[in-house]
Amino acid sequence: MSGVETGEAVAFFLLAPLSVIGALGMVMARNAVHSALWLVLTMLSLGVFYIVQAGPFIGMVQIIVYTGAIMMLFLFVLMLVGRDASDSVIETLRGQRVVAIVLGVGLAGLLGLGTYRATQGLAVTGLDEANKAGNVQGLARLIFTNYVFAFEVTSALLITAAVGAMILAHVERRRGERVGQAAKMRERFLPGNYPGPKAGPGVYATSTSVATPAKLPDGSPAPRSISPILPTRELTAAEKANKHTEGR
Amino acid sequence: MPELKLPDIDYAALLPMLILFGAACVGVLIEGFVPRSVRNMVQLVLSLAAMVAALVFVIRRAGEVTAENAATIGGAIMIDNMGLFMEGALLVLGLVSLLLFGERTLERGGAFVPHAAVTVGSERDREQAVDSGATEVYPLALFSLGGMLMFVTANDLLTMFVALEVFSLPLYLMCALARRKRLLSQESALKYFLLGAYASAFFLFGVAMIYGFAKGVDFRAIHEAVRGSETSPTLLLIGLALVAIGLLFKIAAAPFHVWTPDVYQGAPTPVTAFMAACTKAAAFGALLRVLYVGFDGAKWHFTPVLGAVAVLTMLVGAVLAVTQTDLKRLLAYSSVANAGYLMVGLLGGNKDGLSSTLFYLVAYGFTVIAAFALVSLVRDADGEATHLSRWAGLGRRSPLFAGIFTFLLLAFAGIPLTSGFMAKFGVFGAAIAGDQTWLVIFGVLTSIVLAFPYLRVVVMMWLSEPGETTPSVSIPGVLTSAVLGIGTVATLLLGVLPGPLLELADQASSFIR
Amino acid sequence: MSLSAYIPIVGLFALAAAFGLFSVAIAPFVGPRRFNRAKLDAYECGIEPTPQPIGGGRFPVKFYLTAMLFIIFDIEIIFLYPWAVSFDMLGLFGFVEMVLFIVAVFVAYTYVWRRGGLDWD
Repeated sequence: MSGVETGEAVAFFLLAPLSVIGALGMVMARNAVHSALWLVLTMLSLGVFYIVQAGPFIGMVQIIVYTGAIMMLFLFVLMLVGRDASDSVIETLRGQRVVAIVLGVGLAGLLGLGTYRATQGLAVTGLDEANKAGNVQGLARLIFTNYVFAFEVTSALLITAAVGAMILAHVERRRGERVGQAAKMRERFLPGNYPGPKAGPGVYATSTSVATPAKLPDGSPAPRSISPILPTRELTAAEKANKHTEGR
Repeated sequence: MPELKLPDIDYAALLPMLILFGAACVGVLIEGFVPRSVRNMVQLVLSLAAMVAALVFVIRRAGEVTAENAATIGGAIMIDNMGLFMEGALLVLGLVSLLLFGERTLERGGAFVPHAAVTVGSERDREQAVDSGATEVYPLALFSLGGMLMFVTANDLLTMFVALEVFSLPLYLMCALARRKRLLSQESALKYFLLGAYASAFFLFGVAMIYGFAKGVDFRAIHEAVRGSETSPTLLLIGLALVAIGLLFKIAAAPFHVWTPDVYQGAPTPVTAFMAACTKAAAFGALLRVLYVGFDGAKWHFTPVLGAVAVLTMLVGAVLAVTQTDLKRLLAYSSVANAGYLMVGLLGGNKDGLSSTLFYLVAYGFTVIAAFALVSLVRDADGEATHLSRWAGLGRRSPLFAGIFTFLLLAFAGIPLTSGFMAKFGVFGAAIAGDQTWLVIFGVLTSIVLAFPYLRVVVMMWLSEPGETTPSVSIPGVLTSAVLGIGTVATLLLGVLPGPLLELADQASSFIR
Repeated sequence: MSLSAYIPIVGLFALAAAFGLFSVAIAPFVGPRRFNRAKLDAYECGIEPTPQPIGGGRFPVKFYLTAMLFIIFDIEIIFLYPWAVSFDMLGLFGFVEMVLFIVAVFVAYTYVWRRGGLDWD
């Protein structure tokens, strides 16, 4: 097979601009969360490209690992920084941005043009031969023969990643600083604490609105029973009035 | 389903790497199960034992390499003479620099921060000043060293890439663990990580291009393709350039050197020593293999470009070293310049070029580890006093250490009777034999420029009066003393009696394809 | 390899996207609109909305650790998948290699567990 199927061509011309737009959006977005979402677009498009190019496994891995796990990590990290944090527009080195853009576009042009020219008239082999016994089986064959050592050593990479995350992000509690479950429970039932659930809004209240505070046994409103974002509603005279439920 | 032909795995040949990785895993478990008070001792002993054991197996292997048994795992790993020499060199240099990791007498708790996650400057940060330093650095160093061993013996570009990541990732981490000047340390780690990831991406992109050109990533296929392929060489050139960028970043060649001064300065000094000696050696080992085994047919293409890079590296390293006021930065730029000299040897392109580069790597490694060990000795209340002005008059205060440092600087400058002279002599000679005289001219010129900052330090140490602020030189513990002793003696011995190592390097300077 | 196998998936995607867009677009037109403040509040047992979360919308760093662990096991599974698919072909050798890999990743897990990285308090 050397030609390009129609489906492949359609998928490519649909997704190629999208992936470029995603990449540009990621670079240009001021808000970091928007950047991350643009990146999702690019990564998804890339995943589909892999699938279209007869690499379904790597395409799925791209979607599961990159758009799934790694993007989640990105978003978590952004949330650590605070989602309102945005780029500083001050350049530390004057003219750096312009130079970077010129050089980046130049490099992309050089690589793109070079690859384009080099691949002209190149006989396309395709993956039919490699995928003869199935794409995943072909990969397994490679992973467990020539690259078995590289595969095993990848676990060293994973261990390093775990150790690194622990070192850089986990503050170990010192001895005695950790509060066990028993201690927590004891504290909960100490005098001065109320261990039960708090009264819900509207309980014993004179109105059905959740904005009406519950009443304490002495008749005063319980401030803890309403959400702090709700202003305590002024009660109308009718609502304040005794409802005559005490039985006559 | 067709039967799977299992690769032959020569476990004896892989044993050094397996020992290092295994010991690193055990080290990580020790972090989880052994009480904090004894962890440092246990980890240090384990790491040293693992390195010594690995070295023993490397040496035992030395006489047994033949063209038949060198390749293992279906040709993914190539333990030839050159690979064995590099493995041995890396293990020896790693062993020496690991002694610095274990030093606990210079500073209470060692050079590493106990809890790197604690916010800098917080209450908790002040409290942890007396705690014992993080011991995760030992397994990390072992992982890194194992990756380096794999890097210099990898026989295809994909295995090489995995090895590159395995040895880089722990380094990025270790850079962030300095006990003093923590923000600087964290910044250096971030910088190193981002630029390193970028360089890795270049490497990988290049691998893809070369796969397109050669229809394979192992060096034999690349070699065949380079020699007789009808495919347009554009893919080859793009691929080679991108792979070279990834490797040149690791050896700190200009213009891919910009991380070097910041990272060398910010990282804990033992880690800096480890990086300066071992990372450089590993990256050069891999670069030699890539250029000599895979791409030797493209020599006419890459020699002028890499020659220009070498000249630029020497110039940048030498000129910027002159302007430095911080000793660690000065040594960083000196390391950049040395990368240039090593490239001169490499571009000699002959057997001499290979053996002289190997000799240079070992000689430079010993000297630079000793130099950083000495930097870690000169301290004041804020930790290491690395500003140049603080070293003024040190010769009066402690003549012994100033004398050792002077000797090491002279070795860097390439004065006869030091290993630096023999090393430079070797690479320049190889370059002349390989018709690269223009590189040698630049090499000699920049050596003269580079002598200036070294001599300035020497003059400052000996001819200035010690001032109020001149820090004291701490009495080194056993481990640092050992490092200083080994480094200095090796620098002297390799300068006076370079014969045995030269012979070893000469025997090792052959690849098996 | 033919791409026609993916046409149903694309169709499903299109259907799902169309349904989502339709629901969002049509709701303002057909749904009743009776706003009051109380509508913003949780009903009975819901979690109270906090417009100003603790720390100004920032997550604790704990999440990073969780995400990192998740990625590690995600990658482990990526390697498990081809092995599982080709288990018959790989035989004992593949089994041993895979066990080695899993044990090595388990080392990382053990470390995180022993150092309290899995505690959440």
